[in-house]
Amino acid sequence: MLEVDNIDVYHGDLQALWNVSLKVGEGELVSLIGANGTGKTTIVESISGLLTPASGTIIFNGVRLDKEPSQRVVQLGICLVPEERGIFPGMSVLENLELGAFQKKSRKVKDETFKFVYELFPILKDRSRQVAGTLSGGEQQMLAIGRGLMSKPKLLMLDEPSLGLAPLIVKTIFEAIREINKSGVSILLVEQNVRAALELAKRAYIIENGRIVQQGDATGLLSNEQVKDAYLGIGSV
Amino acid sequence: MASNWKQFSTSGGIIVLLILVPLIITRTDIITWLYLTLLYIALSQSWNLIGGYAGQLNLGHAAFFGAGALAARYIWLHFGLPLPLAILGGGLTATIFAMIIGFPAFRLRGIYFVIGTLVLAEILRLVFYTILPEADVMPMKFLGTYSLVPRYYLSLLIAVLTVAAVYWISRSRLGLGLMSIREDEDAAEASGVNTQRYKLLAFTISTFLAGLAGGIYAYYSAAFRAGGLFEPVWTFDAVIIVFVGGVGTILGPIIGSVFFVLLKQILSLYLPGGIHVAVFGVLFIIVVLFLPGGLIELMTKFRKRTSVGEHLH
Amino acid sequence: MIFQLLAQTLVNGIQIGAMYGLIAVGLSLTFGVMKILNVAHGEFLMVGGYIAFWLFTLYDIDPLLGLPLVAIALFLLGAAFYQLLFSSLARLHEEIKMKNTLLVAFGLFLIFPQVSRWLWTADERALTPAYSGESFPMLGVQCGYVPLCGLVVAVVVILGLHLLLTKTYFGKSVRGTTENWKSAKLMGINVERTYLITFALGTALAGIAGVLVGMTQTVTPDIGMPWTIKALIVLVLAGIGSVGGAFFAGVILGVIEAVSAIFIGPYTVALGMVIFLLILMFRPQGLFGKA
Repeated sequence: MLEVDNIDVYHGDLQALWNVSLKVGEGELVSLIGANGTGKTTIVESISGLLTPASGTIIFNGVRLDKEPSQRVVQLGICLVPEERGIFPGMSVLENLELGAFQKKSRKVKDETFKFVYELFPILKDRSRQVAGTLSGGEQQMLAIGRGLMSKPKLLMLDEPSLGLAPLIVKTIFEAIREINKSGVSILLVEQNVRAALELAKRAYIIENGRIVQQGDATGLLSNEQVKDAYLGIGSV
Repeated sequence: MASNWKQFSTSGGIIVLLILVPLIITRTDIITWLYLTLLYIALSQSWNLIGGYAGQLNLGHAAFFGAGALAARYIWLHFGLPLPLAILGGGLTATIFAMIIGFPAFRLRGIYFVIGTLVLAEILRLVFYTILPEADVMPMKFLGTYSLVPRYYLSLLIAVLTVAAVYWISRSRLGLGLMSIREDEDAAEASGVNTQRYKLLAFTISTFLAGLAGGIYAYYSAAFRAGGLFEPVWTFDAVIIVFVGGVGTILGPIIGSVFFVLLKQILSLYLPGGIHVAVFGVLFIIVVLFLPGGLIELMTKFRKRTSVGEHLH
Repeated sequence: MIFQLLAQTLVNGIQIGAMYGLIAVGLSLTFGVMKILNVAHGEFLMVGGYIAFWLFTLYDIDPLLGLPLVAIALFLLGAAFYQLLFSSLARLHEEIKMKNTLLVAFGLFLIFPQVSRWLWTADERALTPAYSGESFPMLGVQCGYVPLCGLVVAVVVILGLHLLLTKTYFGKSVRGTTENWKSAKLMGINVERTYLITFALGTALAGIAGVLVGMTQTVTPDIGMPWTIKALIVLVLAGIGSVGGAFFAGVILGVIEAVSAIFIGPYTVALGMVIFLLILMFRPQGLFGKA
């Protein structure tokens, strides 16, 4: 479904990614794991069209993405839930969700999508009139995910949804992510929380210093000695 | 340091030449042209300090030029005090107005400074058109003995003073601090630069120099309307000259002034009314968008290209 | 007697204040959404006034009927200038963008008055449809038809803008872009196009204000900057970032000016400066801004 093939990405003059390749298949839940500053956000921002790779290709369902503007990427069915939620703090929960369905075709079916999102995160329905900036961290994360779902994506990418959240909330959110995946949406989960990510995903990629250093079956990686030493000791915060 | 000596001796030579000019040339149009160029050098260089080196956009420079001009005019012409006192008085008056805006504005984000200076110049313009509507004309006894030469020397003195002051500051700790504020004010603040104090200091000096330039004009002009001293054109001219010449450089305002006064003469011959101002506006926008370093950048690029050519052969 | 004078003053103040508010809102919108302080905002007002004048003088189109035409014309003009001059700056880092857009707008401020003086001469133009000088008494106060229309137009336009920003998808996308342009992009919002349309909306608002100015005062090539200054003062009074507040702050300024004109007459112009300094010193976030 999604094929990232050997991309190099620069931030200005600084190279951030070297020869990064990854795949996400239809219906899969794939995880991208790495420490801070290793390039995880750069990868998803490149897929989303916020950044343009200097070389390599990104193909989604046969359509080449890497030179397209961000609105086209959303149109094709990929949505990114950004790092640090990226909600619109001065607008209400409802307005945030509505903007998630900005694209014309998602707008048409938004009532249906609202139902799905409210079922997944009932608290959003309770707080629908509340100003988003006053929500708690966990609620904001749910809002950000809900907003992403409003665009009816085929592939939902989440950038560190567990960041700054209490373990119980992380559990709730990860369960929601599993539900979303079950409903047919492919997921690319970017995380620092290695254990939780590997327990959730089917496959995973490990990135270090802008390069993919390991990949494979999630259970395999969980029991991998190297991975254990490097990540699982300190990874699950 | 050899290049420093070269710079100093070239500048010294030019200044000596300029001093000798009225003794050799008697054509008033040439002396007027030189006088204007020197006035603009002083005015634009003073703006360069706050706008170019410190990166704070003062879009109301006319307020300080005008305040200086009006004060100097009154002290010299109407109160009959000696000229040097009048010029100094002009500088100080300008500084007082600067403090009125500077103190409150520099505590806040840069946009308040821009708005504040714009508003100040406009308000002063309107107020003075209202309370001093008649033209301020030099009385007969002054006009009878009017000589361009002392005006020329005054403008030469102030221009040299202004350039020297800005040059010296640009090489000082204050100058480095200002440039760091221009590049990234938050980073400068974080690295220990007292940004508010530096900006205020630069602004004080800049407006003082602008006030002196105003004094030059007050001494020169046979007649003007008080409000006209605060017309935005005085700000534009300074800003255009600095940007077209090369913002944030010492030579920029100098080259810009020469270019500007020449071009203005030529254009006003062929173009109707004030269209030459529009031409400068277009030129200004082109510089901002495509050639931010102005003529200096153009010259440096040209020099690089020709010197590379020499190396290859 | 005193009551009547005060009431009249109040009415006058509100009417002119509504115009202040209208022009301030356009400026506030542009600055709030994309951090472009369009110091040539008043120039677009001036052009709007001239277009209305020529429509009226050459084609007998009543200025009020001609409003939509002026709005469209200024919308397109603003869009063209934005695309030509500002769009390339939109992607820059915020500080540099603010500075450079300010300079470009400053350049426009040099060009517009000269070009319009060359095209249309410096003669004062006034829009004087048949009902121009007329007024009717209401509760002991004389209400001029023209200023009243101006008030109504301003209120209607502002309400329209409010509805646009709160009830339409486009309006919400503008607000979203203001709060977080990256996230807006991730929603599939075309941020570049949003900027373009917002800028054009701002100039359209200026154009509408220009028609009102032409009807209540006169239009000359040089009216641009004084109106820009007025808008800036209102902006600071309201609080930079408060688009809705800008309208109310305009009305407040209008009333304050009208009342003080009784006492300090010709020095009322200096009032704007005083208000500006007071706000800066004691309440920088303005009347309606967040601390």
